[in-house]
Amino acid sequence: MVKRKKINKKKRPIAVTIIAVAIVILFLIRLYQVYEPLLLNNIFKNGITGSLFTGWRLTELGSAIFTSATYLFLSLAGILVLIGFLRLRRWSWVLLMTWTGVSLIISLVDYFYSHPNYAVMASNVIIAFALNITDVQRIYGIRRDDGTLL
Amino acid sequence: MAPSSSRPTAAVTASDLELLRKFEPVACYTRGEQFFPTDVDHYVRECSLWEHHPDGRDELLVRQGELTLDKLVEPRFAEFGSVRYLRFIESLSLSESARVMADQVALRRKLGEYFHAGIGRLARGGILPRLVDGLFSLSFLLRGKVSAATAAAAELDYNDILSEERKYTYYGRVTHQSGWTILQYWFFFCFNSWRSGFHGVNDHESDWEMITIYLYEQDGQLIPEWAAYASHDFKGDDLRRRWDDREELKMAEESHPMIFAGAGSHASYFRKGEYQAEVNPPLPGWVSGLIHTFDRIWRETLGQPSINAFHIPFVDFARGDGLRIGPGESHTWTPQLIDESTPWVGQYRGMWGLFARDPVSGENAPAGPMYNRDGSPRGSWYDPLGFAGLDKVPPPPQLQIMLSDNCAQVSRRQQELYTLVPQIVAELQEKGARQKGMEGNPHLAKQYVALEKEINTLSAEVRSLRREQSENTALLQGLTRRLDHIRAGGQDNPRAHIHDLAVPDDPTLVLRFDRAAETWAAVSLSFLLFAIASLIFFAPGYLWAGLAVILILLVVIESFLRGAFVQTIGRVTLILAMISALILFIHFWKWIIVIVLVIMGLSLMYHRLRELAG
Repeated sequence: MVKRKKINKKKRPIAVTIIAVAIVILFLIRLYQVYEPLLLNNIFKNGITGSLFTGWRLTELGSAIFTSATYLFLSLAGILVLIGFLRLRRWSWVLLMTWTGVSLIISLVDYFYSHPNYAVMASNVIIAFALNITDVQRIYGIRRDDGTLL
Repeated sequence: MAPSSSRPTAAVTASDLELLRKFEPVACYTRGEQFFPTDVDHYVRECSLWEHHPDGRDELLVRQGELTLDKLVEPRFAEFGSVRYLRFIESLSLSESARVMADQVALRRKLGEYFHAGIGRLARGGILPRLVDGLFSLSFLLRGKVSAATAAAAELDYNDILSEERKYTYYGRVTHQSGWTILQYWFFFCFNSWRSGFHGVNDHESDWEMITIYLYEQDGQLIPEWAAYASHDFKGDDLRRRWDDREELKMAEESHPMIFAGAGSHASYFRKGEYQAEVNPPLPGWVSGLIHTFDRIWRETLGQPSINAFHIPFVDFARGDGLRIGPGESHTWTPQLIDESTPWVGQYRGMWGLFARDPVSGENAPAGPMYNRDGSPRGSWYDPLGFAGLDKVPPPPQLQIMLSDNCAQVSRRQQELYTLVPQIVAELQEKGARQKGMEGNPHLAKQYVALEKEINTLSAEVRSLRREQSENTALLQGLTRRLDHIRAGGQDNPRAHIHDLAVPDDPTLVLRFDRAAETWAAVSLSFLLFAIASLIFFAPGYLWAGLAVILILLVVIESFLRGAFVQTIGRVTLILAMISALILFIHFWKWIIVIVLVIMGLSLMYHRLRELAG
């Protein structure tokens, strides 16, 4: 049998796989964060029984739903980025770098003012450095083949 | 040697003045320029002469209206640490200041020569340089500076001088050094209005600028080979251009190089355009060291382009769209010859304008053509070749002779080596054979050791001579190739000697949103200050974090307007990652070392086991 030759197929660097794994782990964490407030408020068992607002303020139930919705949005965004990232799309690199930057700002503010989450900080550091690797940037069209930034 | 047939020539017998006139430049100024080259005689008559004493006192030596060039150079005793200076504009009262500034507006309206910055320097630099620029502007509160009213009064006075007699002067000097004939053209201006008139770095009373042309002699003719223009940011080799480099050195009527002068600064450029003159404010040594270390990690480890947030991008507008002076133009030069024996050149070591007591010196007036501000001799005067990096360059006709001499010298040495090396090798082999014969004879041990020493010495000598022979072969090849190239009339790259080429901003390179970027550049620094004020008032507990977040936000907005969002977001995230990594290392250094050691151990074990497994 004649083997089909892969032509013009970009080789995916190991760093891309590491980042993809990190995104999957973050997605799972976020998914847990979607369910956690809903479980604590027994929404799966009883449904939405109370009101979500008292005046302009959120009730405990409203807060739980809002938190859950936020994490759901982040999870879905994570999946979107992951798809783009695995398909080696430039926009996914930009989105992920932006997201990592925002996440690092939050981590640093937490570090200086309240309780730092070192695990999140470490994972963001790894993602930021991995996204900066020349081969990764080249494959996502951030750098030219000669190494200069586009 | 560059072909010289197409170049203008002057007879060796030509007088100094004829030579200067033959190659005098055409100076092109920017529309809106307020000061043009003038004569020192007229200027000095408008000045007073002062002495600043080490105890801070300023003493008037000669009153305005009484000073002449002769009085300027009269010998006067001066104590150590004193500064002698001229003063073009006397101190102005508040009402006088208001009046001259109103008169300046009226004059500009009358002349109709307005300067429009276009996309100004603020929009060209990022937010961080702008922040440093703000601090630089504030530094004038502590440093001495020339006031806006002084600049206005200088403009009015210069216009009075010009209306009395419209003439444009250069001071020409002809000198000879190491086979070169050197023509220096010195231009004197009453005032440097770069800061007040064109958003630049500094203002000062009086300004001296200079260009130099280097000629060599061949067949009784003097032929131009190089032109060097004094500039703010360049020195040595980077100052000069070869005469036939038409892309860089523009010509009028074949023998008159064109100067594009910076608006207000009067710095000379080879090509018209707008140049970013970078000013690096002085920083303490430890700050510079930290920046240097960060820059190395940033460039070499992280592969990022260098960032220098501490330089301030000032634009020097050398558009060449204003008045032109020189051959073929409506305004021509009035040349005056100078040399060391010209009294005001050689005998007056003081400043040619106000001593503003600026410790950085940017606002103090310059000294004359022969001297620096501290009275020491000026390099461009006593070493005009070294000034443009030409001290190592022979004139073209000598170059060929020097190369031939070099070739002959190396060939001679090669011949010597061809004879010498076999002789020493034969001696070495003979000693080697003798040493072999001594082996197995314990009673010859002493002689054996002595012979071994001799053999080692000879061996080292042979090795050294063979290396020299090999290097000489390569050197001779290079020299011969170069000689053949020159004999055949071949030309070198005219810009091969330049390390740092002054390049004007690309006019086609526009910001993503021109108008928005410009407006943003004008207001962003104020926004930052308002934000700081709000933070102090509403959330003092979060001042530093808030400040950092706002600064990052401003940088990101700025990058979006410049079309550099992707690069900026990458850089900002990397800097944040570096800070976070440092924090993690401080808190978990033991764990990090343990993990690194375990990984290294596992990796080493894997490779060794693979080696064992074959």
